[in-house]
Amino acid sequence: MESTDSPQDQLKRVSQELLSNKIQLHQTTVFLQSILQNSNDLIFATDVDGVLVSFSKGGEKALGYTREELAGSFIRDLADDPLEFDKLTKASREKGSAVRLELPFRGKDGQTIHCDISLTDLTNTEGKTVGRVAICRDITHRKKLQEDLIQIDRLAEIGRIASGVAHEINNPLAIISEISGWAGAVVSDAKGLSEEDREELETAARRIGEQTDRCKAITLQLLSFARGSGPAIASFDIHSLIKKTVSFLEPHLKFKSIDIVLNFEDEALPIKSDPKMLEQVFVNLVSNAIYAVKEKGTDKGRIELKISRAGPNMEIMISDNGTGIPEGDQKKIFDLFYTTKPLGKGTGLGVPICRNIIKKLGGDISVESQEGTGTTFTVRIPV
Amino acid sequence: MTNDKDVKVLLIDDEETLLEYLSKRLLREGFTVKATFSGEEAIQVAGDENFDVAVVDLKMPGIDGVETQKRLKKIQPFLQCIVLTGHGSVESALESGQQDAFKYCLKPIDYEALVETIREAYEKRNELLNAKFREKVEDISSSGLGARGIKRAINELRKTYGID
Repeated sequence: MESTDSPQDQLKRVSQELLSNKIQLHQTTVFLQSILQNSNDLIFATDVDGVLVSFSKGGEKALGYTREELAGSFIRDLADDPLEFDKLTKASREKGSAVRLELPFRGKDGQTIHCDISLTDLTNTEGKTVGRVAICRDITHRKKLQEDLIQIDRLAEIGRIASGVAHEINNPLAIISEISGWAGAVVSDAKGLSEEDREELETAARRIGEQTDRCKAITLQLLSFARGSGPAIASFDIHSLIKKTVSFLEPHLKFKSIDIVLNFEDEALPIKSDPKMLEQVFVNLVSNAIYAVKEKGTDKGRIELKISRAGPNMEIMISDNGTGIPEGDQKKIFDLFYTTKPLGKGTGLGVPICRNIIKKLGGDISVESQEGTGTTFTVRIPV
Repeated sequence: MTNDKDVKVLLIDDEETLLEYLSKRLLREGFTVKATFSGEEAIQVAGDENFDVAVVDLKMPGIDGVETQKRLKKIQPFLQCIVLTGHGSVESALESGQQDAFKYCLKPIDYEALVETIREAYEKRNELLNAKFREKVEDISSSGLGARGIKRAINELRKTYGID
């Protein structure tokens, strides 16, 4: 068998084996390197003392440090709580590997990166630990999403409770409002009152009415949170919905020269969406437009509602030539409870509610405004 | 200018305390007011008495606002109905629109706006009534009746439509 091989043959065979091993080794190295380069995970290798010897592109991306910046530093110092990381290292040393979920790291800009981490000891052929490999999955995004969901859930729950209360309070509020009006009327005609007392009482009755109106505005807004459930999609004519909305708001236009221009054809334009939700959006946006125009005090107030088809969407633009929104405030108007109106006039719920609704309907809402010139809200909803 | 005293208003709402004070205020304003607390009661009252304007709450136990309006219009075709709707009830409002409501007002109501709307509704009713009257008069004059016959027919019409 082998004895028939000449030394030359043997040498040839060995060198062939060596070559093939070399190729294999090269392939393995390339393979591992490409993992290190392309993985989104943070993959670290450290020596036995925990000093970083290599880490992946994913690690650079997540933490914000370059490989050079981190060379020679201890991996434990990257952890939000280094002592926690030491515990993990200890566990890995004892059992050969260890896993920890949601261990926070600290990035270059001080940001927190939440990671699921698995640590494995590297041993040499004699079974001696020569270093460690850590594979960390960046779950910051997922965690953020979870927190958002919890936040949304909480908001929805608060909304449900608040709107339940608001609903119950609405009727008594309406009654208080009527009674204060009645009391005011009686006082103004009452005999035997001094002029001074009459004025006092008239003012008191009027103030009760005003404050009740303020409560009514708040309950009205809160009630809209009640519709936390999904949209009830129906087919309807968006033109008549908008006309109806505008006619609801007509009482607010009394004694003011504000032109409401409906820039669309008379014929029906069918759309599939939630009419109640959209009504709420238009009431909120047109009310805001009316307020902005009144605030400006111009005698040429103009509010335009324009509807057009934009690809798969219906685009509704509500423009006014009112006070406009300062550039710095334009982002904030979508925040809950942010309002530019004076105390008691705004709830800071209107625009956020609009955005919530439009999101639920699969659309989007944007604002364009110039201080002193006017504001345009654009609502896009799928047809 | 409308004389409020001539305006006969029928109020329909199941919230009794609210209606008590609303009718007191409207009475003091000068309107002639009748308050009823259900659709059923309103329909009964409308059988005996004529009204110009009805203010109907959309949501009521028993017969709801839409149905009440429909039946009232059957009894008194010229009656103008103002429908009070809760927030976000445009759909029902649209439905009642098929019954020709004069206007929808959002609840909670704004008193000044309501008073103004009642006056407008009254004007509308009179316009419709006068138009119908003139149309009938045209019919009569083109009917080939003699002068005396026409006068008698017109007097009868005046009575029917309550126009002096």
